[in-house]
Amino acid sequence: MKFSYNWIRELVPGLEAGPKGLMKLITMKTAECEGVEEFAPWLKAVCVAEVLSVEPIEGSHNVKAVVNAGPEFGTRSVVCGAPNCRPGIFTAYVPPGVTVSGGKHVRTAKIAGIESEGMLASGDELGINRDHEGIVELSGVKPGDAIPGCPPDSVIEVDNKSLTHRPDLWGHHGMAREVAAITQHKLAEPADLSLIPSGAPAWKVDIRDFDLCPRYSALVFENVTVGPSPLWLQERLSAVGLNPISNVVDVTNYIMAELAQPMHAFDAEWLHGNTIIVRRAAEGEPFNALNDESYTLNPSNLVIADERGPVALAGVIGGAGSAINDKTTRIVLESANFQAANIRKTSSALKLRTDASMRFEKAQDPVNTVRALARAVALLKEVCPGIRLVGGLVDSYQPAPAPAPIELPMEWLVRKLGRPIEASEVRGILESLDFQVDEPRPGVFSVGVPSWRATKDITIKDDLLEEVGRMVGYGTVPPQAPLQPVKQPWINEERLFHHSMRELTAAQGFTETCNYSFISEEMARRFGFDPAAHIRVANPISIEQSLMRMSLLPGIHKNILENARFSSDFRLFEIGNEIHPRSGGELPREVPHLMASVYSKGDGKSALFELKRLAECLMPGCTVNPGEALQYEHPARSATISWRGAIPGRIFELHPSLVETGRAAVLDLNLGTLFQLGPQPKKYTPLRRYPSSEFDLSVIAGLRDLCGSIQELIRSAAGPSCDRVAFLYGYQGKPLADDQQSLSFRVTVSAPDHTLSNEEVTAIRNAIIAKLRDSGYDLRG
Amino acid sequence: MLDSTLSELEARAVSLIDGAPDADALENARVEFLGRKGSLANIGKDMGKLSPEDRARVGRLLNSVKQNLESRYESRKAAFERAALDSRLAAEWVDLTLPAPGTRPGSLHPLTQIQRELEELFTSLGFAVVDGPEVETEWYNFDALNIPPTHPARDAQDTFWLADGHLLRTHTSPVQVRAMEKFGAPLRIIAPGRVFRNEEVDASHEHTFYQLEGMMIDRDVSVAHMLYFMKSLLTAIFKRDVTVRLRPGFFPFVEPGFELDIQCLLCGGSGCPVCKQSGWVELLPCGLVHPNVLRSGGINPDDWNGFAFGLGLTRLVMMRYAIDDIRHLAGGDLRFLQQF
Repeated sequence: MKFSYNWIRELVPGLEAGPKGLMKLITMKTAECEGVEEFAPWLKAVCVAEVLSVEPIEGSHNVKAVVNAGPEFGTRSVVCGAPNCRPGIFTAYVPPGVTVSGGKHVRTAKIAGIESEGMLASGDELGINRDHEGIVELSGVKPGDAIPGCPPDSVIEVDNKSLTHRPDLWGHHGMAREVAAITQHKLAEPADLSLIPSGAPAWKVDIRDFDLCPRYSALVFENVTVGPSPLWLQERLSAVGLNPISNVVDVTNYIMAELAQPMHAFDAEWLHGNTIIVRRAAEGEPFNALNDESYTLNPSNLVIADERGPVALAGVIGGAGSAINDKTTRIVLESANFQAANIRKTSSALKLRTDASMRFEKAQDPVNTVRALARAVALLKEVCPGIRLVGGLVDSYQPAPAPAPIELPMEWLVRKLGRPIEASEVRGILESLDFQVDEPRPGVFSVGVPSWRATKDITIKDDLLEEVGRMVGYGTVPPQAPLQPVKQPWINEERLFHHSMRELTAAQGFTETCNYSFISEEMARRFGFDPAAHIRVANPISIEQSLMRMSLLPGIHKNILENARFSSDFRLFEIGNEIHPRSGGELPREVPHLMASVYSKGDGKSALFELKRLAECLMPGCTVNPGEALQYEHPARSATISWRGAIPGRIFELHPSLVETGRAAVLDLNLGTLFQLGPQPKKYTPLRRYPSSEFDLSVIAGLRDLCGSIQELIRSAAGPSCDRVAFLYGYQGKPLADDQQSLSFRVTVSAPDHTLSNEEVTAIRNAIIAKLRDSGYDLRG
Repeated sequence: MLDSTLSELEARAVSLIDGAPDADALENARVEFLGRKGSLANIGKDMGKLSPEDRARVGRLLNSVKQNLESRYESRKAAFERAALDSRLAAEWVDLTLPAPGTRPGSLHPLTQIQRELEELFTSLGFAVVDGPEVETEWYNFDALNIPPTHPARDAQDTFWLADGHLLRTHTSPVQVRAMEKFGAPLRIIAPGRVFRNEEVDASHEHTFYQLEGMMIDRDVSVAHMLYFMKSLLTAIFKRDVTVRLRPGFFPFVEPGFELDIQCLLCGGSGCPVCKQSGWVELLPCGLVHPNVLRSGGINPDDWNGFAFGLGLTRLVMMRYAIDDIRHLAGGDLRFLQQF
């Protein structure tokens, strides 16, 4: 929302603060300002000039004009291309050295062979309106005057988000009220209610739904002449970013920017009957708006209609048929109030946000409608000479009880603010903001809320705390440590567990990445995931990010491919949630996973073992069991991981078709499962007091027999005396057959209560050998 | 006669021991003179033939010669051993400038690091670290936070809606309500986590980023208490005293609501490009918890109240390391990540 500094100063007479100072005050006490900019600073240098003579320039569409530019500049020759440049008019003269709207720099130059000392300017060049058809024409002025009513201005831009709760601050008068309270000045009232005509209204209004339209007020005018507004009015609108259109429309926009009350003027000739009907649209009812778009409405939309059909989409936009035009002579001027929620619903459903809908959706004050009409009477009389009121005020509303005053105990206020404050100061602040303050009991105020703050903004005493707090300034509140009992906080074991997994993984050489929760359908398919099984984003940023990931793999895979461009050997990991849909409207299951990957060139074996080591660091004593590969896994390099009776993950090499430049091994762990298992219980076993014995065995096995299975076979055959079965080395080659390998193990045995005799050790060894032979293995040597 | 033999013998032995070129020659000399069958032993054997007076005298003489030779032998032997050790050790020279084998430790994501730092800080201040789901219901993300469906504040948070009717949480604030339901009052929690906004990604905008929600509920919590915690928090984050200011800010779930600014750490408040010449940098929204939000969490606002704040972790990481492009954080580029 843009605020004109001049406008605010007009409403707060005597305001001393300059634009920057004002911006700071507003930021600290009311709402966040995004900045302040000068508006049309060149208007300081521009002055009125009378065109004395005009002569054509041969071979050019321009003319040479001699003008009287007042005492400072005297008579000047300027080259001008405007069709309306003619002797006797008074227009705007821009002296050389001045930069005007659009960054156009004016200087003395030869144009079409003629020396031009400055420029005659259009409204567009002056920044006052968008008229670039000709130079401005002024009346009631003399050469050398400033452009009347158009001083340079400054515009303060306030963040719309910080005005969401303040319907009153969507107009200059509301902001001026804040400024007056902050700077302790008087606030001027622009509307004179005595201008509202009495007597019977010439039109009727029929509100069919008072919930959606709490109030509809209107005035009817005749003898209207539509034409451009005076420049001062156009400049105001341009300064705050509104586009000057015509005197009647400009007045409605001016009042909207001043009083936050959106208004709409209908050409009465194009309204059928003389009753305004406010009703819900029929299902499928068509509506042509004045933005040249057509909309198909339904009963959730509120329309303003005449007896034939909709003439406006209530609170959003007027209709094309009854719009003000050059020939308009009679108008119905609407000043109504609509329910915020409904306006918002309609404007978002139709994707049509207008200056009016933006204001109404903040819950405007129903009391404001008549005030705005009073203001319109004054303004229209000024900008539209000859205009006449027809009949009295059209006004329909359902009287609503005034909201009950809010009790504000001083003691509570002080406690919440955290600093002492005098009751008289509180009263002063609230009254400066037009709250009604009574003190029914000592120390307790009863605070009446002004209508423009009562629609939604202020309903409870906490809201009043904010009013007082911001006005005294939070800088006056000294930080204070609370007096609360010391208590150990609840410990989030699962989060700490994730952190410890993170740290262990990083210590093993892996760098943490952080990927999006979104994947594309194409990515899903690439890994053999069914896109339809994923939760879909209804409004994705792009097709690339339309599904919620059910695996960290697509993200990790992307990391691998991208980093492979810069490095031939790296390790990375991510801890993040898989999102799995759940039926019955329940929130999805978010399953934390750890996925780590080693990328390398070469045969990729060591990468798999690096990940196995990582798995053993994270899950001491886990076992890896080769099994059937998934679609995205290398068919001969895939295994599940078992730990303490659960299968918390997999270890595998990505299928070579997914990584063409090298090999990537992946460890995928379900941290939810791991956390459920809890920390490995720790148990102390007394150290063995008697020496242990060792013997080695070399087992001849097939090339794809598993070391782990043979090791387990030996361990089970060795019985309770077995301390350890360690793999020593493997061997292939002579004298073994080509399809054979030898795997050597060292077996350590002992007893808790004596030293094992040679006979006992031999018996164990023989038992192992027998079991191995039974299982089809031979022994070497 | 024996005397002179002994002194000749001593002289020869001294010369052989002292002059031994290596350990072997020294050992030969020891065997020749000091061995069980060596020269001195042989002389000892002949002593029986002497008169008692001579025996005593020659015995003393023999002893002194033996001591002399033994001590010379020991010191020579030690010297040879020392030399042998020195030369072995000298040969064991290692080039320690060769690279160490094994994998270097990886690194934790900067977001993880700053998050852990803050978790530890708040734990030490008595706050529990709690989690909430990344996929949320409309109720927890909006309604429970005093943002009904028609509230214009919903516009400020471009929301990703899911086809199943849920949404991706647009802030960590839903955890406020979940924590109130789980723990009741009094309550001190923080909730760091991933949040989502439907925004086009560029150097300073991301659709996925990290926030840290904080909330304290107790009896009679005031603006002054909130200021105290915010100041402690910021001093810990920036490791120096920071000047803060509160100004009004609108967030439906707090009343009053504030924007907390810190005095620009770069220019100290005199104005620079980072603070857009204002001397202040907007850092975190905060406020006293709105009574409606307490009610949503099942807490009676007549008995309890509190403050809440939201800290942008992503923004904090960018500020701390002067990172110029937010896209690096989710970019997965190890050349970036390994710098932390």
